Amino acid sequence: MISIERLSKAFDTARGTSHLALSDISLDVAGGEFVSILGPSGCGKSTLLYIVGGFVPPSSGAVRVQGAAVTGPGPDRGPVFQEFALFPWKTVLGNVMYGLLEQGAPKKIAEDRARALIEMVHLKGYENFYPKELSGGMKQRVAIARTLAYGPSILLMDEPFGALDAHTRTGMQHELLEIWERDRKTVLFVTHSVEEAVFLSDRVVVLTRSPGRIKEISRIDLPRPRRRAELLVDRRYQDYVVAIEKLMDDPAEVRA
Amino acid sequence: MTRLTQIPGLPPLVAAAGLLAAWELAARVFDISGLPPAHAALRELPVILTDKESLLNILDSIRRMVVGFAFALVFAIPVGLMMGRSRLTAAFFNPLLMIIYPVPKAALMPIIMLWLGVGDASKTLVIFLGVSLPVIYHAYQGARAVEEKMLWSAAAMGMDARARLTRIVFPAALPEIMVGVRTGLVLALITMVTSEMIARKQGVGDILFNALAMAQYETVYATIVIIGLLGFVIDVGFERLRAHLVAWAEPAHEIAAVGST
Repeated sequence: MISIERLSKAFDTARGTSHLALSDISLDVAGGEFVSILGPSGCGKSTLLYIVGGFVPPSSGAVRVQGAAVTGPGPDRGPVFQEFALFPWKTVLGNVMYGLLEQGAPKKIAEDRARALIEMVHLKGYENFYPKELSGGMKQRVAIARTLAYGPSILLMDEPFGALDAHTRTGMQHELLEIWERDRKTVLFVTHSVEEAVFLSDRVVVLTRSPGRIKEISRIDLPRPRRRAELLVDRRYQDYVVAIEKLMDDPAEVRA
Repeated sequence: MTRLTQIPGLPPLVAAAGLLAAWELAARVFDISGLPPAHAALRELPVILTDKESLLNILDSIRRMVVGFAFALVFAIPVGLMMGRSRLTAAFFNPLLMIIYPVPKAALMPIIMLWLGVGDASKTLVIFLGVSLPVIYHAYQGARAVEEKMLWSAAAMGMDARARLTRIVFPAALPEIMVGVRTGLVLALITMVTSEMIARKQGVGDILFNALAMAQYETVYATIVIIGLLGFVIDVGFERLRAHLVAWAEPAHEIAAVGST
């Protein structure tokens, strides 16, 4: 589904030097797979996601989605950002309908689908609210519904729950898995929380500190559907979390 | 005290009454012809406002102001937005703006009169210049501050760069643009009057200076009151419109409003 081939990204810094953010990343993600990208802050994990989204060009290497090279953003890859990035001048309904109308859907169909999605993310009754009237968790639900609305086959989630409090965060993780279980979209999920990555993912890709290289890819063999309350007392879950935490603490990576 | 300020419209009324009282008192104390008492000046208001020629002059001024203002918005908003989203456009326009911004637009009036004469065109152009600069500046700032991720979200929906400028950058920058437009409105009024003082032919500024030349000081003061009231009405009207247009915005762009707020 997604194939990342020998991808590197260098940025020009303010001092005129070049900073290597990502180095030689190769990764294949299968259709319907949930893959998390985990790493310390500044390792370029978000940049990797932006390159897959076509928002940022790579310095070298390529991204292919279903065989076609990525040259820019497209409705096959729907982003969800930590900052929500809702359109503040549009209501909840207006935000969720936006992409559908942009794709040329008739108004009636767009509205019906948007209303169904708003109900799915538990925001029925908030259709006519503006983003500023919503809490962080509600905003992110709107953002997810807005992206799901235009039917991307791939979801690119950039620390989507990073700005939420712990309680809202775990709630949102459950909701995301419920949504994902319905139609199993391909998900690339950037996070710096090990628990979150293990709870959600089929595979967890751990990046090294800057420049980001792939340090290890762990397959998470936990049965689905997953329930947090059950996993917390599950030895296998604990082992995954501990193993990956250790990997991230590894002092060797400082030299890497 | 706090209870008094809660009565809407009362504090500004008290302020206005206080100003009039101070004026009346000063006129009686100093007793000079250049400062007629407030009641004498206010008595001239209905005279001016029922005189057909004066009314035509006032409407004439307002018409030029509206035209200059409208052209300025149509020009300044796109320029400001493009500057905010394109480094090249910003690099091109920025030095020009920095030179023109501090120049009083009325100071350009003599040159403009050489080109375009003393009629409508010169005065409208000066109003246009006066309004354009703050609007460009605020549209530029507003466009620069638009969250990149918002544009990316739109791009992922299939929106091209031009559509993003008009349908994402413009509404996102609207609260900031409105701050510039409000400054522009005040400047429109100022440049309207000053342009008529320099190129005297018709308009409110002409009434003012004719009265001054003929030592009709009550009329001079009454005209100033009319200009002030005009500004007040425009500003209050604009605040209503602004509150309606950007009600969705976070209150970061709240600006001190004349009137009850």
